[in-house]
Amino acid sequence: MDADRSGKPIVTARLPHRPSARLFLAATVLALLSYLGARGIGVVPPLGPFLDPANGVWALARTAELPERSRARIPGLSAPVEVLYDDRGVPHVFAATEEDAWRAEGFVVARDRLFQLELQTRAASGTLSELLGRRALDADLTDRRRGFPWAAERGMAALDSSSLIARAARAYADGVNAWIDALGPAELPLEYRLLNAEPARWRPIDTFYLYLQMALTLAWEDPTLTKLQARGMVGAAAAEALFPLNSPIQEPIQPNGAAGPRYDFARLPPPGPPDSLALIAAREREQLNFDFAGLPHCRTAALPHCRTEIGSNNWVVAPGRTAAGFALLAGDPHLELSLPSVWYEVHLHADDGLDVAGVTFPGAPGVIIGFNRDVAWSFTNTGADVRDHYEEQVDDAVRPRRYRLDGAWQPLEIRLETVRGRRGEVLAIDTVRFTRRGPLVHQGNRWLSLRWTAFESKGPGEDFLRLDRARGVTEWLDGWKEYVAAAQNGVVADRRGSIALRSTGKYPLRPGNGRGDELRDGSNSAADWSGFLALDAYPFARDPAQGFLASANQQPVDPRTNPHYFSANWYSPWRALRINQLLRADSSVTPDAMRRFQGDAQSARAAAFVPLLLAAARGDTSLAQAAALLTDWDLSYKKESRGAALFEATMGALAPLVWDELIPADRLADSAPRPAVVPEEAVLLELAADSISVWWDDRRTPAVEHRDAILAEALRRGFARALRDYGPPEGEGWRWDRVHRANVYHLLRIPALSALELPVQGGPSTLTPSPGRGTHGPSWRMVVELGPAVRGWAIYPGGQSGNPASSRYLDRLPRWLAGELDTVRFPANPGDLPAARVGSRLTLSGAER
Amino acid sequence: MRRTVPAFLLLVAAFAVAAPLGWWTVPLVAGLWGALRPGFPRPILAAALAALLGWSVWLGIDLGIAPDALTRIGARAADILQLPSTLFLLLTLLFPALLAWSAAAVACRLANLLVPRGQG
Repeated sequence: MDADRSGKPIVTARLPHRPSARLFLAATVLALLSYLGARGIGVVPPLGPFLDPANGVWALARTAELPERSRARIPGLSAPVEVLYDDRGVPHVFAATEEDAWRAEGFVVARDRLFQLELQTRAASGTLSELLGRRALDADLTDRRRGFPWAAERGMAALDSSSLIARAARAYADGVNAWIDALGPAELPLEYRLLNAEPARWRPIDTFYLYLQMALTLAWEDPTLTKLQARGMVGAAAAEALFPLNSPIQEPIQPNGAAGPRYDFARLPPPGPPDSLALIAAREREQLNFDFAGLPHCRTAALPHCRTEIGSNNWVVAPGRTAAGFALLAGDPHLELSLPSVWYEVHLHADDGLDVAGVTFPGAPGVIIGFNRDVAWSFTNTGADVRDHYEEQVDDAVRPRRYRLDGAWQPLEIRLETVRGRRGEVLAIDTVRFTRRGPLVHQGNRWLSLRWTAFESKGPGEDFLRLDRARGVTEWLDGWKEYVAAAQNGVVADRRGSIALRSTGKYPLRPGNGRGDELRDGSNSAADWSGFLALDAYPFARDPAQGFLASANQQPVDPRTNPHYFSANWYSPWRALRINQLLRADSSVTPDAMRRFQGDAQSARAAAFVPLLLAAARGDTSLAQAAALLTDWDLSYKKESRGAALFEATMGALAPLVWDELIPADRLADSAPRPAVVPEEAVLLELAADSISVWWDDRRTPAVEHRDAILAEALRRGFARALRDYGPPEGEGWRWDRVHRANVYHLLRIPALSALELPVQGGPSTLTPSPGRGTHGPSWRMVVELGPAVRGWAIYPGGQSGNPASSRYLDRLPRWLAGELDTVRFPANPGDLPAARVGSRLTLSGAER
Repeated sequence: MRRTVPAFLLLVAAFAVAAPLGWWTVPLVAGLWGALRPGFPRPILAAALAALLGWSVWLGIDLGIAPDALTRIGARAADILQLPSTLFLLLTLLFPALLAWSAAAVACRLANLLVPRGQG
């Protein structure tokens, strides 16, 4: 007791040096709270700064919404910049010059997405450990081994400082850093608080890292590995047929003059004897993939990066086939869904001619997909094979310093890569070696180097900046004729009514058969790429007679038209079949029809296989109920669809029944053995044309099965599984929106900041796709009408703000789930945006450097 | 009473005003308060209550400015720590209260030990 009720102090008579129990208790509580306050425990951040009401997590509420008016300074601005945020949270930047516009863009992106900027850059530069600690060490070492810092630094050093991308990257960095410099403690994004970290300054090279990361996502195809694995089990001829150079269903991006798809079905050769050398090579190749990319192979594991998870659609319709007589364009890249979104929406206007709206990746100056006053464009991934490996002869099996080329020793470029932790401490030092081709890794007793087009880009991102200013289709096509990686199927339409599509990127010219799916001899320069394919050999079409063009990651060109090697083992063209079917059937397309097509849930894949399943089930009374369910199904993946659950379960059961020859021997004893590699379903359909092929026989049973027996068994198993997992078919459990959900994860995979278990329309291979675990899908849907005044509609899942306290964090999600699009505002000047649509005004002015 | 209410309000204000400098100002202010003990009844309890109220002032202002955003961030932060929202709010208020209580108590005891009241 310290004082009595009257406030008079009570005289204590304790000995001065004898701490009381109460002192001990208080001191313990103080020490404990101080520790928790300063350090945190486990996933719990330091509680002091986290709970602090002035600058802690609660303070994020204060800056969650944009103020009506605000001002800021950015060094280097040549004139004040006016930024109007519209009612969708999209900044409209009005600047005097394009460099000022990029400065302002860096500022507004950092204002909304600062943590995302840093995280994705660190993910490419191999410095995640500095933010996340030791748990990111392996990822960082992989980045370094893959040569990303080497490539980015080399690219920066070789860059002409007056080039468009150099100027843009510098200006963008000015803007980002101006925001960081002005950042008050209350505005520090939540993720930094959770990680107890501070934002790092943005460097122009970080823009390069972003493009390298995108190349890894989009241009790391490896058709070699799957084929090698198959060859190891069923021999070369069968592997070639199962993982073919050309898709057995031809509905190419470049129209081939056919009025519909062409089915190039051939009889598959029987399985041959295993090729043990190929199997060893496959294992090495798989390890190589892991060493360079940290990615276990997709065919052996269901992982987020796997090809079945990503893909995109785009199409254009010529004025002659639209209701209004104006060209229409639809863009719909399917990428990983994240919070905040991989995209940031922005409108950049500069007095020197720039006037473009659309989306960009945070960290990339300009607009990547969008439209200006004359042209609209979008991309899908080509999936080109632009990566080769070379076996090198080195002077030392353990610590080489030289490699042999054409009989002479050449010095290896050697870099010591130091990975640091959160406090700057050294976590690891790795020696990374490079030949003239690229990074070198040790595989078994071999040294293999990598050559990849992504390393050969001189100023990645520059092409997109040129596209932003194109005034017509011709100028747009010229704008990216030197584009390197990742190869993209770019569609474009202009106000004059022209449409075009070109699969653009550098395609290596290889010696011999020209194919990229084999290991090459590094000691001989004759094994090197001899150059790149000429532009006029790229898959391309402009103003075709059919009046529309579409791409959905299918084989871009009919091999009968253009036999050049672009890649192998192409996606089954289910989405391409469906969009071409829709576009052929509609000669009076409206913008709303384009929107509906984007959200179309009808499955060309189901249309191909369900009749086969029903034919196989005919006469089998035990399959009557399953057959009736498939018969009643309209082949769509709408939320209320019930047949989709049975179809997916059946197709899941079918693959191991058909491809039992591809199940590794050591997996045969598993309760549900899975093949190591599974051919594309287009190949399965090709096989279905041959009902007595030996491939149908399940060699694990004494009987000899043919097609219908296997299909019936798959349906039986699929039905049993669906009953087990979803209950009786008439129950709610079979609804597609109960069976499958979309999951939009926060960048740090924090469930509390994610939007999970979202009922969604669409499934594997539908135009509105939601495959696997629902973590990938339509990341930016856009429809543009190229009329006298360009009009755009678009949406992405999430919102513009990365602040979870903001109403703009998730505001677009309900409309995205409903398949709706927002009207994109595109004011020609600040006065064009109605006052009622202006959410916030920001004035940026220059400051002394 | 005439002196204690203003003194207490002053203490609340001190906690509130010092908050932008950092959470560590809570034990600092409370420690000073506990050491000086300005003739206040139950000074340790007063420190705890004042710290709680000092931080509440900030939350109250934010509630007035951005009620929806405050609710959203409270709910999300609570989810991250796997706590109910109300418990997270309670944690936010109890943290400075306990910190102030313990700091004031330690300071008070130490002051007593070093310079016992009535002897100094």
